[in-house]
Amino acid sequence: MDLSLDAETLEFQAEVRSWLAAHVRPLSSMDTEHGFEEHRSWERLLASERLSVVSWPSTYGGREASLLQWLVFEEEYHASGAPGRVSQNGIFLLAPTLFAFGSDEQRSRILPAMASGDEVWAQAWSEPEAGSDLASLRSTAVRCDGGWLLRGQKTWSSRAAFADRAFGLFRTGPGERHRGLTYLLFDLRSEGVTVRPIDQLDGEPGFAEIFLDDVFVPDRDVVGEVGDGWRVAMSTAGNERGLTLRSPGRFTAAASRLVELYRKNPDPALRDRVVDAWIGAQAYRLHTFGALAQPRSGPAASVTKVFWSELDVALHETALDLLGEVAPGWRDGWLFSLSGPIYAGTNEIQRNVIAERILGLPR
Amino acid sequence: MTPEQLALRDTVRSLLDKHSDVRAAIETPHGYDKDVWARLCDIGALPIPERYGGSGAGRAETHIALEELGRTLTPSPLLASTIASRALLATGNEEACDRLLPRIADGTVATLVWPWDNGRSSLDGTARYVLDGDLAEIVLATDGTGLYEIDLAGVTREHTPTMDQTRRLATIHLTGAATLLGPWSRHVRDIALAALAAEQVGAAARALELTVEYSKTRVQFGKPIGSFQALKHRMADMHVLVETARSAALAATDEVSAAVAKVYCSEALFKVAAEMVQLHGGIAITWEHDAHLYLKRAHGSTQLFGSPQVHLARLAATCLDRDQPPEPASRKMRRNVGHSR
Ligand SMILES: Cc1cc2nc3c(=O)[nH]c(=O)nc-3n(C[C@H](O)[C@H](O)[C@H](O)COP(=O)(O)OP(=O)(O)OC[C@H]3O[C@@H](n4cnc5c(N)ncnc54)[C@H](O)[C@@H]3O)c2cc1C
Repeated sequence: MDLSLDAETLEFQAEVRSWLAAHVRPLSSMDTEHGFEEHRSWERLLASERLSVVSWPSTYGGREASLLQWLVFEEEYHASGAPGRVSQNGIFLLAPTLFAFGSDEQRSRILPAMASGDEVWAQAWSEPEAGSDLASLRSTAVRCDGGWLLRGQKTWSSRAAFADRAFGLFRTGPGERHRGLTYLLFDLRSEGVTVRPIDQLDGEPGFAEIFLDDVFVPDRDVVGEVGDGWRVAMSTAGNERGLTLRSPGRFTAAASRLVELYRKNPDPALRDRVVDAWIGAQAYRLHTFGALAQPRSGPAASVTKVFWSELDVALHETALDLLGEVAPGWRDGWLFSLSGPIYAGTNEIQRNVIAERILGLPR
Repeated sequence: MTPEQLALRDTVRSLLDKHSDVRAAIETPHGYDKDVWARLCDIGALPIPERYGGSGAGRAETHIALEELGRTLTPSPLLASTIASRALLATGNEEACDRLLPRIADGTVATLVWPWDNGRSSLDGTARYVLDGDLAEIVLATDGTGLYEIDLAGVTREHTPTMDQTRRLATIHLTGAATLLGPWSRHVRDIALAALAAEQVGAAARALELTVEYSKTRVQFGKPIGSFQALKHRMADMHVLVETARSAALAATDEVSAAVAKVYCSEALFKVAAEMVQLHGGIAITWEHDAHLYLKRAHGSTQLFGSPQVHLARLAATCLDRDQPPEPASRKMRRNVGHSR
C-alpha cells in the first residue's frame, strides 16, 4: 500500500496545518452550556473557511475532499490539539444517513445549517429499557394531520440539553422489534419536549433524558420510508462504530502526546506499555488507510469500534500510570475513554456481531 | 475467621448499612461522618492494646473493619489512625504511648507523614498526599531514623482534593519543630500497605457483588444480562481476582508480601472497578450511580503509598537475580492480573 500523498493532498495538508496553527485555542468543556456555545462558535469559524465538513459536496459547505484527504485533515486536526467536534452527531451520523436515505429537499434544508454549526444535532435512540437491545424501543410516533405525534422517553442523549434538534427511532407499527420503526427528526425546543440533563461521572451534564409528550413532527422530517427506520438507522450505526466518528488522527495524536509524556517522565516499568499503545495507534491508522484500497461496510465497523475504543482506554491508562495522581488533562480524557466501550453499541455487542455476522458462528 | 471476628464483621457491616451515607459524608467540611467514626472507635476497630485504653484489636480485627469500610467506600480516619498508632507502638516509648494512644482510641484523628511520595524523609518542607493531614490533631513524622511528634503551631495544612472524593488527603508544610518519640520502624510501610490492601479487597468484593446483582435484574433481549456467557465469564474472572487478592492481602506481613499485596490488590481493584463500569453500561457513566466512586477509589488507592511500578521495582531488586534484566517482573505481574482492557 502506497501511503505517500499526491501534490494536491499535500497542498491541502499545508493549508489546514497553517490555518489550525493560527486559530486553535483551548475551549471549556463542551458538556457545559457555556462550553457548548464556545464550541458552536468554533464550528462557525471552521465553516467560514469551509473546513467543517471537508468531504461533503460544496453545495452544502464542503470541499468534495477524497477519503484520503479527509484522513489527512483529521490527522492535522487532532495533532493541532483542536477542540472536540460539538456537531459530531450531526456531521458524522445524521449526515451520512441523509446522503444515503434523505431527499434532496431534506439535504438542502438540513445540511448547510449543520455544516455551519447553526443547528447542532443530538442522537435520540436509546431508551431506559432499550440500550444494547435497541430494537425493543417503545417510544411511538402516531399519525396525525400532516405528520406525526411523538410520545415516550429517550435517554443518554449526548449534549441534548444544549443541542437544537434530534434524530431518533420511533415505533410506528405494524410489527415488532426491528419492524415498524421509523426514523424521524424533531426539534428539541418543540412543544411537548422536556429535556432533563444528566450529570456524568465527571460531574458535567454531558447527556440528557428526553421526554416526549405528543410532539409534532411534519411529514417532511421522516427520513427514508415509514416503517423502514431500522435499516436507515443501521447505516448511521456503521458510521458511529466505524471510521467516521473516530478517525485514526485522534489516536495517533494521543499516542504522540503519550510518547512526549514518557520522554518527560521516563519510567522503565512502563516503557513497553507506552510503545504498545503507540503501536496500537499506528496499527489503527494502517487499518483505516486499508479501507482506502478496499472499502468495508456493515459488520466490519464492529472490528473498528472494538479496536479504537480499547486503544483509547489503553492510551489513557498508560498516561495515568506515568503521571500518578497529578494528571488533570489526561484524567478527564481517561474518564471519557471509559465510555468508549459502552456507547455506539457496547463492545460485547460488537463482539457478538463479529462472531455471528463475520465469523458465522451460531447464535 | 474466628466466631469473634465474624461477629465483628457483622457489627461493622450493619453499622455501615444503617449509618454510612458516603455522598453526604463527602459533602461535610471534614469529609467523613463523625458519628460513624465514633461508633467505629466504640466497636474497637483501632489496633490499640488495652493497656493504652484500646480494645486490644489485632491486625486481623482492624483489617476486617478496613475491608468493610472499603466495601462501602465510607470515608474514615481509620486507615490514618491505624498507621499512626502502629508507628507509635513500634517506638516502644511508654510515655508517648500512654499519652497519645488513649486519645487516638477515643477517636482523636492521628496521621503519619512518611515519605512514600518522594522517598525523602524530612521534618521540614512540604509533604503531599498526607491521609487526613488537614484534620489530624496528632501528626507524626519520620526523618528516616526516628519517629517524631510534630508541633502543629506554625504548621500550615490544606485539604488537597483528588479525583477520589472518598479519601481525604492534604498537603502539610512542616516547620521542623518536632519532638523525637523513638526509633522509626521500616516495617510501618509494610503495615500501611497491608492495611490498604485489606480496604482494596473490600471495595473490589463489593464492586463485584453490585455488578452481579445488577446483571440479574437488568433485562435486554428478553433476558437478564447476567445470563449472557460473555458477561458470566467476565464476572467469573472478577471473582477469581477478588479471591486471590484477598489471599494476597491476608498474607501481607513482611516486606516482600506487603509489596506483592500492594501491587496485586491495586491492579485487582482497578480491573474489577473498570469491569463494573463496562458491565453496567450507560448508567455507570452517570454521577448518580456509584460505579464511578469505585473507579475513582481504585485509581486513588493505586497511587496511594506508591504506585505499583514503585513497588514492582522494589520487588524486582529484592527477588530477581541482579544479572537478569528487570523488565519481565512487571509483565509477569500484569499477566497474572489479566490483560488490561
Ligand atoms: C458517554 C455516552 C454517550 C452516549 N450518547 C448517546 C446518544 O447521544 N444517543 C443515544 O441514543 N444513546 C447514547 N448513549 C447510550 C449508549 O448507546 C448505550 O449506553 C449503550 O447502547 C448500552 O446500553 P445500556 O446503557 O442500556 O446498557 P445495557 O444494554 O443494559 O448493557 C449492560 C451490559 O450488558 C451487556 N450486554 C447487553 N446485551 C448483551 C448481549 N446480548 N451479550 C453480551 N453482553 C450484553 C452490555 O455489553 C453491557 O456490558 C451514550 C452512552 C454513553 C456511555
